[in-house]
Amino acid sequence: MNTTGANGPFRFMECSLLPVSTGFRAQTLRELRSAVPEIPESSLYYHFWGRMLRPHIAESEFNNDFASWADGGLGDTELAEALSAVNPVKCKDLGELRSILEDILEARLDQGDFLSWKKADREFYFIACKKFMFDTGKVTSSLEDFPVAVKTASRQSFFHHFLDGRRRSPEGKDDFSLWLEQFGEGTAEVRRLLGRVDSYLFSLGELKGQIVSILEKGLRKGGKK
Amino acid sequence: MMSDMLKQYGEVIGFHAMDSLLAIAERLRGKRIVHVNSTRAGGGVAEILSSMVPLSRELGLDVSWEVIEGDEPFFACTKTLHNSLQGMAGGLSEGQVASYTATNERNAEKLKESLEGADYVFIHDPQPAALLGMMPGRKGKWIWRCHIDVSAPNRSVWRFVKKQVEGYDASIFSLPDFAQPLSHPQFLITPSIDPLSEKNIPLSKAEVEKTYRELGVPRDKPVILQVSRFDRFKDPLGVIESYRIAREHADIRLVLAGGGAADDPESGEVLSAVREAAAGDPDISVLVLPPDAHRAINALQSGADVIVQKSTREGFGLTVSEGMWKRKPVIGGDVGGIRLQVINRFNGFRVRSPEGAAIRIRYLLTHRWKRERMGVNARQYVLENFLITGQLRNYLSLLVTLDGGEGEWERWI
Repeated sequence: MNTTGANGPFRFMECSLLPVSTGFRAQTLRELRSAVPEIPESSLYYHFWGRMLRPHIAESEFNNDFASWADGGLGDTELAEALSAVNPVKCKDLGELRSILEDILEARLDQGDFLSWKKADREFYFIACKKFMFDTGKVTSSLEDFPVAVKTASRQSFFHHFLDGRRRSPEGKDDFSLWLEQFGEGTAEVRRLLGRVDSYLFSLGELKGQIVSILEKGLRKGGKK
Repeated sequence: MMSDMLKQYGEVIGFHAMDSLLAIAERLRGKRIVHVNSTRAGGGVAEILSSMVPLSRELGLDVSWEVIEGDEPFFACTKTLHNSLQGMAGGLSEGQVASYTATNERNAEKLKESLEGADYVFIHDPQPAALLGMMPGRKGKWIWRCHIDVSAPNRSVWRFVKKQVEGYDASIFSLPDFAQPLSHPQFLITPSIDPLSEKNIPLSKAEVEKTYRELGVPRDKPVILQVSRFDRFKDPLGVIESYRIAREHADIRLVLAGGGAADDPESGEVLSAVREAAAGDPDISVLVLPPDAHRAINALQSGADVIVQKSTREGFGLTVSEGMWKRKPVIGGDVGGIRLQVINRFNGFRVRSPEGAAIRIRYLLTHRWKRERMGVNARQYVLENFLITGQLRNYLSLLVTLDGGEGEWERWI
């Protein structure tokens, strides 16, 4: 589905994401490693992307739940660092992301027996999700109106276009950047800045603030298409 | 055109968020939704439904709320169920099982027409859970909403409850820790508070002062407050112990405010124990408030210096969210839903003992600017995560999701 109208007006979509218990949980690294091949793909999605829509604070040090648990639950900072280096946007699909995770966990287990049975302070609960997406009916064609339109989009709509957009795009580009491409060189700097935003270390509200600020500054002289 | 009520919510959560809610509700127009629980007043479930049902109707949805009727033996049984699901030893006697079944049968007869014809039925907690098996002609989807911390249930009692809920189309738990092996999908949705309710609207300083005066609580020293039902899992005796430890270093008052719920026969017993522990201390106020004393609770929370919710089991602490909404950091027990609500040093502290609560009380009283900073964080955190509009959005999304069947985990509608 063409969600943004890359060569026409920008159509604002939105998603609703509901966490679902998988029944899988882990208290040791070995248990985590055993569960990763079994969990549904939506669980990988939830722990890398969906986490942005659930209660969390901006000061998260890591970009995915596996890394956060390795550090905070297991006390294995080295593993946490390796897991947080995974850039899910670079994976062609969730299957590839799963393989990368398995390799990292396996490599860590190979480094010492102690790591395989050390118990974490808290269990890791694998959570899957159900997501649906829909057209909000909101449309904008003008570069001038675009920053305000993004600013007044809901958090779920912003999540869909910016964070999830990067996952859906083969080149890892968010929906806003893809739409701005049709305006050519005039929006190149804005697109460059959007592409540089590190999307995982902020709350959704903060991230939205950053993106709106880039759009407001960069599109100030924009005009109607 | 948005109604006045929806506009008021829009002013709190943003009109874009209100538009989203309307867009999802639009997909459920014409469907009939029924909520069923065991009490109209008192306790978190009744409070949530008191807000959610009118808000749902305002969104154009056909929603009703039914309350099952039970006698004393039934509520004694369901209190045992509740306690056992939270891990207390013991089990249900044959007489209790008979009372549970007979009460559900009586209510099934009364509610048959309403429930069998509904498109979606939310059954809240174990009390009315057996209704499903008594509705052979049901046409809609049934969802069991468990508000209890069932992370480590008494196994024999869980088996009994499981038998009642296995046939549902889905269940909802507040946290992944609470989910149990069941053959249907288990969604994870946190409960919420209503920013427009009497309990959470902003009050004037004069009203807060007046309420404290009327309730006989002087404001001559910092007030430590716990608002909760007199229930052993809320650990009011532990709070008194914390206060006594903290008082060695700080001149403070303790207010324990709460009431019973119509479906909680044990509260009298716990209240007596609390009164006994507080006897002879003029700086402890034990306030038994009627179930509709929402404004008084609001005033108590708004005027308190430190809010405590030292539960030892907690499905989800609505009073935690209420305190945080009033820009107060909260000292909460490190259990259940409180783990999701209170982030250490960000919007409060999680503690595991009376000693832990005492040291955090002292810390917050002596670090005013940190207390204020954490209070600001607390308000924002509730705004983003724990308001009734968000919970309703999740419930409606769940219904839309159920209509989509098993299929792919992500889809366009």
